[in-house]
Amino acid sequence: MSVLLGLAWRLIVQQKWAFSRGLILSFIVLAMGAALLGLSGWLVTAAGAAGITGIALNIFEPSAGVRGLALGRAAGRYGERLLTHDATLRALADLRLSLMDGVARRPHEEQARLRGAEALNRMTSDVDALDGLLLRLIVPFLAGGMAQLAALLMLWWLESLPVGLSVFAIYLIGGGGGLIWVARAARHQARAAETALQAIRTRTLELLRGRADLAVSGQLQSEINRALEEVTAEARARRTLEALDRRIGAVIGLTTALAAGAALAIAGQMAASGQITPARAAIGFFVALALAESVMLLRRGMAEIGRMQEAGARVVELARTPERPIAPTQAHPVADAPLLRVRDLSFTRPGASGPVFAELNFELHRGETLFLTGPSGAGKSTALAVLAGLLPTSEGTCSVLGETLAHWPETDLRRHLTMVPQRSQLIGGSVAENLALAVPAGELLSQKAAEAALRAVSLDRVLAARGGFEARLNEGGSGLSGGQSKRLALARAALRNPDILLLDEPTEGLDAATARATLEGLRALLPEAGFVIVSHRSPDRDFADREIALTRRCPAQHRAKNTSRRKNT
Amino acid sequence: MTDSSPQSPKQILNRLAAPQSKRLRASGWLSVLSALIWPVQAAVVGLVLGHLVAPGVSPALSPLAGALCFVALALVRIALDWAAQKLGADAAEAIVIHARSRLVAQAARQATGAAALSPAHSAALVAEKLAALTPWATRYQPSFMRARIVPLAFLVIAATQSWVVALILLIAGPLIPIFMALIGMAAQQASEKQMIEIGALNSLLIDRIAAMSDLRLLGAEGRAREVLKDKTEDLRRRTMAVLRVAFLSSTVLELFSALGVAMVAMYVGFSLIGWMHFGTWGAPMTPATGIFLLMIAPEFFQPLRDLAAAWHDRAAALAVGSELDTAETEIEAARKILGDGGAGQPLAGGILRWQGLRLRPARDAAPIALPDGAVAPGEAVAITGPSGVGKTTLLSALAGLLESESGTIEWGTDVLDAQSADAWRAGLGWLPQVPRFADTSLRGLITLGREGDLDGALSAAAAQDIIAGLPGGLETRLGDMGGGVSGGEARRLLIARAHYARRPLLLADEPTADLDPDTAAKVIAGLVALREAGITLIVASHDPALVAAMDRAIALEGVA
Repeated sequence: MSVLLGLAWRLIVQQKWAFSRGLILSFIVLAMGAALLGLSGWLVTAAGAAGITGIALNIFEPSAGVRGLALGRAAGRYGERLLTHDATLRALADLRLSLMDGVARRPHEEQARLRGAEALNRMTSDVDALDGLLLRLIVPFLAGGMAQLAALLMLWWLESLPVGLSVFAIYLIGGGGGLIWVARAARHQARAAETALQAIRTRTLELLRGRADLAVSGQLQSEINRALEEVTAEARARRTLEALDRRIGAVIGLTTALAAGAALAIAGQMAASGQITPARAAIGFFVALALAESVMLLRRGMAEIGRMQEAGARVVELARTPERPIAPTQAHPVADAPLLRVRDLSFTRPGASGPVFAELNFELHRGETLFLTGPSGAGKSTALAVLAGLLPTSEGTCSVLGETLAHWPETDLRRHLTMVPQRSQLIGGSVAENLALAVPAGELLSQKAAEAALRAVSLDRVLAARGGFEARLNEGGSGLSGGQSKRLALARAALRNPDILLLDEPTEGLDAATARATLEGLRALLPEAGFVIVSHRSPDRDFADREIALTRRCPAQHRAKNTSRRKNT
Repeated sequence: MTDSSPQSPKQILNRLAAPQSKRLRASGWLSVLSALIWPVQAAVVGLVLGHLVAPGVSPALSPLAGALCFVALALVRIALDWAAQKLGADAAEAIVIHARSRLVAQAARQATGAAALSPAHSAALVAEKLAALTPWATRYQPSFMRARIVPLAFLVIAATQSWVVALILLIAGPLIPIFMALIGMAAQQASEKQMIEIGALNSLLIDRIAAMSDLRLLGAEGRAREVLKDKTEDLRRRTMAVLRVAFLSSTVLELFSALGVAMVAMYVGFSLIGWMHFGTWGAPMTPATGIFLLMIAPEFFQPLRDLAAAWHDRAAALAVGSELDTAETEIEAARKILGDGGAGQPLAGGILRWQGLRLRPARDAAPIALPDGAVAPGEAVAITGPSGVGKTTLLSALAGLLESESGTIEWGTDVLDAQSADAWRAGLGWLPQVPRFADTSLRGLITLGREGDLDGALSAAAAQDIIAGLPGGLETRLGDMGGGVSGGEARRLLIARAHYARRPLLLADEPTADLDPDTAAKVIAGLVALREAGITLIVASHDPALVAAMDRAIALEGVA
């Protein structure tokens, strides 16, 4: 529960104004609802008494009041819904931004994990789960509490303290206590149900993907049965959640009935003994009845509380990611130093027994293209990530423009060095929006530079047919073929005009002619830059000036043989 | 897709719920019964307050006794609601389990290459999406039943006391759905005009999180954040524009129910005070009746509110229902693997021959005819030909993973059909182009839980170095995408599995595709070692090095 309160506080503080106006209107609507029913009850009872006794009663003012409250309440409800939804949308927008900030601060390899379909799915369903936090939990709880307090004062004034206090106490115990009780029980159960649902999905996915292999090994039937077991297990977990929901309903029903019953009994006795008029007694009962709305509104929020707690804990954990360590010094590039100088570089994953790659040695000079080879799994992509400053170096040194890689502040480093990963990602939107990501903040995308970049990767004509810079890409940049997406990512990186360009499988998905044209186009566009290319395609190898072999693991057995062979170019 | 389906989404839902229709109806009736207790509670309160105002006019009831009655009746209501919800939840559980089980079992038996839906899509349908059937059964169904019966019952009850009150309710009630429908249409238009797609905000976020490494490398984290902020704000403004119209619909409901209550209160008040003398069937209205009618009025509208609140559950379930129906229809139409995919006793073996095969490589593809062939025990045969000619398709058919349009496949004296398929496959090993691993340990992957010589198999496949390089050794869990091992290593592990299982025939699909020469050589060596161990090999490939390592090749090109 503290997770949710902390998160709610964070969201409220960021959107104080939107939140408080929504809350105030929610309270007014609840109060008007109680007033409407209370006044109606008073009106009818008082009219009954007046009819019997013949005492004159001004009925026009109260009945105008009833009409006014009825209209006012409907209008208030409309405004309240708009304002609370507005506050929620704003709060969720903030939440999404802090999620993004949090992910941005995570280490490189974790980011790679977070972009898996499963993790992304979970992230969005977590944000969605939290849309009820303000709307169905915090606002109803606070507005309901305020309405209860107001009712306490009104009933104290109109009837007596015992009537007001008993109604207030019953709602406090039933509504407030019930909420705490549910919050405690629900988290565990919601987690169980969610885990069970994930298990169904994972098991089904594995079953369907591996069905050929499973059938041949004779395990298809047993794996189907295992998936069906997950289905039953989820139903069991779900059942306890449903039972909890029923209990919430029963507690709310009982609370309302007891509050109204208590008001009827106490105020009725007072009226019977002549302390107050029957009409005033009626007010207590009807107000207690109308206050049911204040707990009813909480019901859905209470049913979702377990899921919210789970989702909230995950979201908060991501959003709270600490800042990346800031480079201790300023970078001091040396004018005539090689672009990259790598000495005995190795990288070992935390906890692993051996390095992923070791003893990498090379220098990269202006205008040079270096080809990094090695069998699959030799750590070529990892090596590029280390050179790009995404992963820390374990041993050895790497200097960029004469300055140690680790001494470069992030923004300065990115001005000189960029990389196109093997699975580079585009974003939904126009081609121009994608290219604009390469432009430093505050600058505008130059049409000329963008055209040149697209031409360099032979994408200008392909895109011209689809609307040029305004061509739309769908989510994740889908809508282009694999090769076209890759080339757009290359063009985007080239727009940075880097000194060092690291390319991981830059020609994957391209036919030989386009592959060649793309690499040559990039070289022509960036004649002074140094390229480091990782690829398993031989045309790319022919394009390079030099080749360096990276060997996998066990450096004792295979020393990374740096067979630098300079070709005649 | 759904247009061609003979059933409307509503009929589909009803069909899904049919086995549970009794329970669902019982649940609905119990919730109706619970709602009908309210008039009794209202009468109790009417008598208490009526007696206080005008002793002797109506039967006497003390406040304390009345309050006790009121609470006792509420307990009955709570119990009935409880039972109704329990029945509904049980029915929902049965419906969801049934739908999930059917879909899983059917989808898992689709032939390779014939899947109607992607595995990820099917898995999402089985898990999250089908869960939407639960609120439909537990919330929408009973509220629909209440909305049909309860207002009508209250109308009749009110009419026995006063036709004017009944008239007020009769006018206010039916107007609500009319106005709500009108506003619903306006909201629809507004959302079309604003082009708001559901989930658009999520896509914006997901896109940027998926591209986070790229953004960092481009130094574009800050810029992407600003763009996300602007777009989110823009979407919020457009969403609010739609909500301003959409919320009118619930406001209409509020307005009419509030006005209904207000008018009933005023009519009752004027009648009691003696200014109105009509509508009560001749007799003067008593205070008790007045209170009773006032309490009935808001509850007349309550079922409509409940229904409006549950309307979303209905829409979600209808969407899922038709998606499920489409999926089931397509899976039904897709071809299935032969047999159950269970364990079987291996067949005697012998010469494997296929004759007159016509196979459909993909769901909507035309069948292709394949040349006849025969492979003797112990032979190593390459199936060659350009991509798309049907190499993979032939291998799938030989494993009984794909039904042939015509033709026969025999192994020794046995013919491959649905009856023999499980036993047939018990003699096979399988090396797919893209190995998919379940979440299991490496040991489990290779041994499949059977006894045998694991070290021998690993050394025969020269796969020890892979094991040595993994932090957990043989106990490393690979996970779905084979995390931690490369494509070439995955294939070498499956070759180790073939060595371990010693099944007489191995079918391998492009085992050296996309591998660098060193790794490819290791894979080829592993396959040759299998052949030397006496295992028959049928390998689909266009890698010259691999083809050369086999005894002979069967070329598929040139046959149409």
